[in-house]
Amino acid sequence: MKRLIVLLLLLVVTAPLEAQRRRRRDRDRVEDSLGNVEYGHEFTFVRLQYTPAFGPSWNPGWRHDYPYAERNFAKIVEAVSYVEPYLGGSNILRLDDPELFKYPLAYLSEPGYWTMNEAEADGLRNYLLKGGFLIVDDFGEWDWQNFELQMSRALPELRPMRMDMRHAIFNSFFDIRDIEFPYSYRGVAEFWGYFEDNDTKKRLIAIVNYKTDIGEFWEFSDTGFVPIDLTNEAYKLGVNYLMYAMLH
Amino acid sequence: MESMFEFLFKYRPLIFERGDFMFSAPWPIYLAAVAGVAFVVPTLLLYSRARGKSRPIDRGVLSVLRTLVLALILFSLFRPVLMLSTVVPQKNFLGILIDDSRSMRLADVNGAPRSSWIQEHFGVEDSRMLRGLADRFILRFFRFSSSAERIDDVSTLEFAGDKTDLGRALSRARQELASVPLAGLVLLTDGADNTHKSLEEPLLALRARSVPVYTVGLGQQKFPRDIEVSRVETPRSVLQGASLVVDVTVTQTGYSGTSVDLIVEDDGRIVNIQRIELPREGEVATVRIPFKATEPGPRIFGFRIVPLDGEVVTENNEQEALIVVEDHREKILYFEGEPRWEIGFLRRAVRDDANLEVTLLTRTADNKFYRILFDDPDEELVGGFPSTREELFGYRGLVIGSVEASFFTLDQLRMIADFVSQRGGGLLMLGGRRAFAEGGYAGTPIADVLPVILDESDPDSGFLAEIQVDVTPAGRTHPITQIAETIEESAKRWKDLPPLMTVNRITRVKPGATTLLKGEGPGISDQVVLAYQRYGRGKSLVLPVRDVWAWQMRTPLEDMTHETFWRQLLRWVIAGVPNRVRVLPVADRATLGEPIELIGEVEDDTYLKVNNTSVVARVTAPSGVVDSIVMDWNVDRDGEYRATFVPREEGLHKVEVSALEGGEVLASDASYVQVGDSRREYFGSEMQETTLRRIAEETGGRFYTPASVSTLPEDISFTESGTTVIERRDLWDMPVIFMLLVVLISVEWSYRRMRGLV
Repeated sequence: MKRLIVLLLLLVVTAPLEAQRRRRRDRDRVEDSLGNVEYGHEFTFVRLQYTPAFGPSWNPGWRHDYPYAERNFAKIVEAVSYVEPYLGGSNILRLDDPELFKYPLAYLSEPGYWTMNEAEADGLRNYLLKGGFLIVDDFGEWDWQNFELQMSRALPELRPMRMDMRHAIFNSFFDIRDIEFPYSYRGVAEFWGYFEDNDTKKRLIAIVNYKTDIGEFWEFSDTGFVPIDLTNEAYKLGVNYLMYAMLH
Repeated sequence: MESMFEFLFKYRPLIFERGDFMFSAPWPIYLAAVAGVAFVVPTLLLYSRARGKSRPIDRGVLSVLRTLVLALILFSLFRPVLMLSTVVPQKNFLGILIDDSRSMRLADVNGAPRSSWIQEHFGVEDSRMLRGLADRFILRFFRFSSSAERIDDVSTLEFAGDKTDLGRALSRARQELASVPLAGLVLLTDGADNTHKSLEEPLLALRARSVPVYTVGLGQQKFPRDIEVSRVETPRSVLQGASLVVDVTVTQTGYSGTSVDLIVEDDGRIVNIQRIELPREGEVATVRIPFKATEPGPRIFGFRIVPLDGEVVTENNEQEALIVVEDHREKILYFEGEPRWEIGFLRRAVRDDANLEVTLLTRTADNKFYRILFDDPDEELVGGFPSTREELFGYRGLVIGSVEASFFTLDQLRMIADFVSQRGGGLLMLGGRRAFAEGGYAGTPIADVLPVILDESDPDSGFLAEIQVDVTPAGRTHPITQIAETIEESAKRWKDLPPLMTVNRITRVKPGATTLLKGEGPGISDQVVLAYQRYGRGKSLVLPVRDVWAWQMRTPLEDMTHETFWRQLLRWVIAGVPNRVRVLPVADRATLGEPIELIGEVEDDTYLKVNNTSVVARVTAPSGVVDSIVMDWNVDRDGEYRATFVPREEGLHKVEVSALEGGEVLASDASYVQVGDSRREYFGSEMQETTLRRIAEETGGRFYTPASVSTLPEDISFTESGTTVIERRDLWDMPVIFMLLVVLISVEWSYRRMRGLV
């Protein structure tokens, strides 16, 4: 009951987000002209592009929150840590693009709409097994089946595993004490991971932000449309993901 | 030549060398002058007054010729003699030293072993040589190889010694015969001393006592056909799985340009075969051959060339080396000044290497550090980078990433330099925006340690370049940069690797440093990518690139180049890093009963030498019998302790040296010695004429070969050593004098006839 009350309150607080989504479409069209940046910096944010199974072609799920989420995230990374992020832009790459292998961290949005051809599935497998790290974000219950299906095409031997607070990724920079992360209309976040050899003591190669959308908090962090505390948590998670990927 | 000399001058050259020349006429020497004047002056006057058809020049020539004739007659009349010191028969001793080592079994002269000449001339009582010597001297026989002792019967020698120690043999014979009149020593040997000890001291002692040594060189000075694996350079110990590149020195005679297989074996298991071309006659070929040490423990590695038809010696085609393959974790501290991709990829590259323990300390933000440790997480590095020598010197290797010099205190910078120079650790500096000159290291104590020259950098220059890495000639055969099975495949592989980024423009290495990898890119042709140098007791390396991980992400999934490179690099960084206590057997092979010298070095936890502490060596024989030997501090060298043990059984002996305090073991180290048969007698086993001539000449003796040795008994009798008498040898009747007289008179007669003066 208590949780329900909290969720209702959050719904009220985050109601403006829906309106913001509409505004974002216009901004995305403008930012499409940004293009990719040249390799040369220690950390350049990479957003994965895929062919969506359905949905509007002018606003595909992979592009949600682009480019403000990554721009804001890069600024925060630079402000709080000694990582050298590129602040002047970010990349959008497909999984079968050889350029992807110059950037060991990639972000995948809305995997409920995600599809891959064989080359992309091979690309994802190679990327993760060689040492790449994947952040999967912004999806809810009805998207899980497609997400797991696509992942199993790339990594049939691995399965997603529910993560808890004890994992090192939640302490790799910020000491995150609570991962029961509430998110407007999707309830409470769940964090899942893909581990080498399905062993939680081994390297985490992909983290899955289920029932939440930390990219959205990054995107709107400078607008006042989202609660500061939740935005802080979203940034903490992002910075920790990056630190873990770099150090482990 | 010598017989011609003897024909003309009546005696052999040796007699003239040994004797003192003088006249022994019964009248005083001044009469010679008077007689000279009495004969020569009237002759000259008569010739000068003579006239007739003669010209002045004719008179001059005839005067000279006649004067020479008169001088020769006078020379003979005054009875020239040689005064010689000769031994009194049976009043002097003669030491005969016989080489009893295995090399005397070599049948390199007319198909007969070298030892057969000894048995023929010294093993049979009625041999001419032995009778000639026994008539003049009281003979004492010695056998020698690694040791030397008196023997009574030469025919019982087995020629089975594992070592030839000429110095020990000469000293032993000199000492044994110190109290008797000694005419000299006869050394019957091939001269192939394999102790690598100087002969200076034994020869000095012999000179001081005026004991001449007569050396007889047995065997061929140069084999007609032979291949020898003469030297192998290997480390004493390596980590399990280490890639080794070993220098093998090969010499040959009679097989120039022939291709042969050089085979490397690990306790009998072939680990590599490399086709090599033998060098030209008289040249030495050094072959670099890579292989891996995969099995732990003390291992005997063999390096051999299959014998070819017609080789005189086949036992010298193989060398063995004892390498201790360690199977324990070595601690390396990797300190990074900023989170970056290189960290995770480096750690993953070596995580499956059971012998490397990379402790990570990363500065993630201001005063914020992230540790990834293996043990003792509650205490290790809680205060950030070590601030005491004890803490830092506990690691064997130190990797410094992108962290500015100003992060460290001056004491920490000095401590890092001491880590290399004093502790003997390995230092690796990686590239990055806060490393090298860009990190302000120019002019710091660390800049002195690094193998590259740091130019003052403009922090705003924003240097960033993509470079294609390639291996240098030195890197082609270096163990760090072997990334394929063979040296050729490895060199080819380097050219195919993805390019790397660098933000540190480094082009110059220090004198004495070695560049293993270099890089080229747009407008860049000489970027140093990997270089090293020795510094004090340790070594330093630089890798001024920032994304070696590209060799992982941008190569096929199954490609192991990235892992191989990091493992080999880090293993090399810590290779040979000393322990606080070190045991150094002087040799890793010995024969049964041969004393083995042990040297131990002891240091405290800051690696300062510790004198006069309690140090014990425990020698465990193959049977399990343990000998504890107290090691004595060598007052001449700080921290050095010595002891000797004599093995009583064959096989591998473990030597463990421990430094004790109050009965507690502070630190210890182990090494191994293989006791048993050795093939060293077959290496460098040609007759060493230079060595034997030197021994003879420095002591006043003479060098012989079997062809020239027949005069030995007589030659030795002309000595000033022992009990001697003076003997006089006439020279007036030398054939050469009469021949000269005939020639001079004939010339004078011919001249007169030619000039019509008869």
